[in-house]
Amino acid sequence: MILQYATPVALAATGETIGQKSGVIYIGLEGSMLAGAFFAMLAAQSTGSPWIGLVAGIAAGLLLALLFGWFTIRRGIDQVVVGTAINLLALGVTGTIYRTQFGKSGTLLSVAKLPPVFGKIDAVEILLLLSAIGLTWVLQKSALGLALRATGEYPKAAEAAGFSVARLRFIGVACSGIFAGLAGAYLSLGISGSFAENMTAGRGFVAIAMVTFGRWKPMWVLAAALLIGFAESLQFTLQAAGVQAPYQLLIALPYLVALTVLVVVGRGTVAPAALAEPYVKGD
Amino acid sequence: MNGKSRISYSSIVMKAKILWGLALAVIVGCGSTGDTAKTETKEGAPAASGEFKVALLTLGSVNDSGWNSMAYEALNGIKSDMSATVDNQEVPPTNAKDALRSYAQKGYNLVFGHGYEYNEPMAAVGPDFKDTIFISSSGGKTASNVGAFRFYLEQSFYLAGMLAAKQSKTGVIGSVAVLDIPSINSTLKAYEAGAKAANPNIKVLPPVYFGVENDIAKAKQLTESIIAQKADFVIHQANAAAKGVFDACAEKGVSALGSNLNQNSEKGVVASAFIVAKPAFLQLAKSVKDKTFKGEIVLVGMDSGTIDFEINPEYKSKVPADLIKLLDETKENIRTGKLVVPKDEF
Repeated sequence: MILQYATPVALAATGETIGQKSGVIYIGLEGSMLAGAFFAMLAAQSTGSPWIGLVAGIAAGLLLALLFGWFTIRRGIDQVVVGTAINLLALGVTGTIYRTQFGKSGTLLSVAKLPPVFGKIDAVEILLLLSAIGLTWVLQKSALGLALRATGEYPKAAEAAGFSVARLRFIGVACSGIFAGLAGAYLSLGISGSFAENMTAGRGFVAIAMVTFGRWKPMWVLAAALLIGFAESLQFTLQAAGVQAPYQLLIALPYLVALTVLVVVGRGTVAPAALAEPYVKGD
Repeated sequence: MNGKSRISYSSIVMKAKILWGLALAVIVGCGSTGDTAKTETKEGAPAASGEFKVALLTLGSVNDSGWNSMAYEALNGIKSDMSATVDNQEVPPTNAKDALRSYAQKGYNLVFGHGYEYNEPMAAVGPDFKDTIFISSSGGKTASNVGAFRFYLEQSFYLAGMLAAKQSKTGVIGSVAVLDIPSINSTLKAYEAGAKAANPNIKVLPPVYFGVENDIAKAKQLTESIIAQKADFVIHQANAAAKGVFDACAEKGVSALGSNLNQNSEKGVVASAFIVAKPAFLQLAKSVKDKTFKGEIVLVGMDSGTIDFEINPEYKSKVPADLIKLLDETKENIRTGKLVVPKDEF
């Protein structure tokens, strides 16, 4: 089902939207997803409960995001550099623990999967749909949303109005981390029922691209992720139907769709003006 | 504002991607020990008397539950059975020469490169280090100290194809693979040949590829898409992502076929086409130790027991007796060389 396979990217992109709105681009999204996938699997495997697994996955994603926040928000270090370091850290830590726990030659792991709630829809998919709506409301209508947006557009003004830029950006990056952790947990527990090293396979970067694609609006970001998910499932169907085309071309199909849509709808800058700029109080 | 010109959003993402790419390259590359390769001919220090040192290079992670882990287990077999000193690295073909040279300089007697991609670097490095034997898994180049294994996995894929074609109720069978590469495609062609030999009316779907190692979710989604094309038997070349193939098959109630390792204990797997790598690796290592090794390409197949095909015992009751007889006879014919299964050279 398209919704299920699109959910990891859609979740991560939804959380990242909030982070970017506050002015922080969390390049470590991939790392948070991978850590989420791994620790969710580890917790689900040792407790037998996929729900505890989800919580562990969220915690792992959040922890990495907060580490990122400490370096970039508190210390003002370049967000891209720190984010890349977070990705490497996650790859190294999950790989190392995986090899020590499950043997160097690997095993095909099986863990308890999330049960469906209605028909084939499970709780995480419902949460994804609800959070896209909820976060749209938070960003557009709530005082917190206004402050977050101000922090991403013009942090000086937000600070002058009495808000703590650092605190708001921590909220933003925490949001990115929580959703990325959940996205990773869903990849291992909701879809795969297993884990493999680096199993996120670049989904974190696709999610970051989806934020741009969705013009920093949660509902549009969700729609973008579903569209890419649809394009991907289409390319699989075309391959299976034996369409005579190089498979590399088919694999590139989702990205061609994204590019085309961006060219058509992507005029004008709508990125938060202070995105990725460190803010130093009183500077 | 600090007066610096503002970097655009897209340039940030670009920068991140470039950094990430570089970092991955470093991670993969830092497997190699950092000894810079010497360009002039330099004989490696011969191993200390009595010590037998063996190294293994793999393209991917040795915990992939497939192609690479099989070689890693064989390496550990050499370690325990021959009390050898062993080491292994994950090395992309572009860095292979450096890794080969550094092992040779450290006095390794034998270096395995588990993939045809290592054959050319070995042929290039071999003449400089006559005291070290280089063996790649597949590949066509040889020298006095450079040779290759050729695992005849096609033989067991052929039998898997026969079983699938005879047992399929829909008349459609398929395969899922990670990459469109010659070594994988050769096995899938043999699967098709076996299927057609057993049942000329069978429809064998063209192989489908998910393109990214370890992506269980994509492997699963792709498997679902060929099941949607009515395939009720699916073989894979997915290594660590095989779980996705098995999971999709189990959920849809169709039969999966394991590969590379005996995966009959996995849910949904009715038979496995696999390699028993350890004896072949051990035999070769012994020939190197006894100095009887000749630089040649050794074809290892069912005749030596290196390649095998096994039906899941729990599934066996669902296979008609005459089919089991046919499979056994075919296996025997392959073993004795009466039947030659097609294979590509690469």
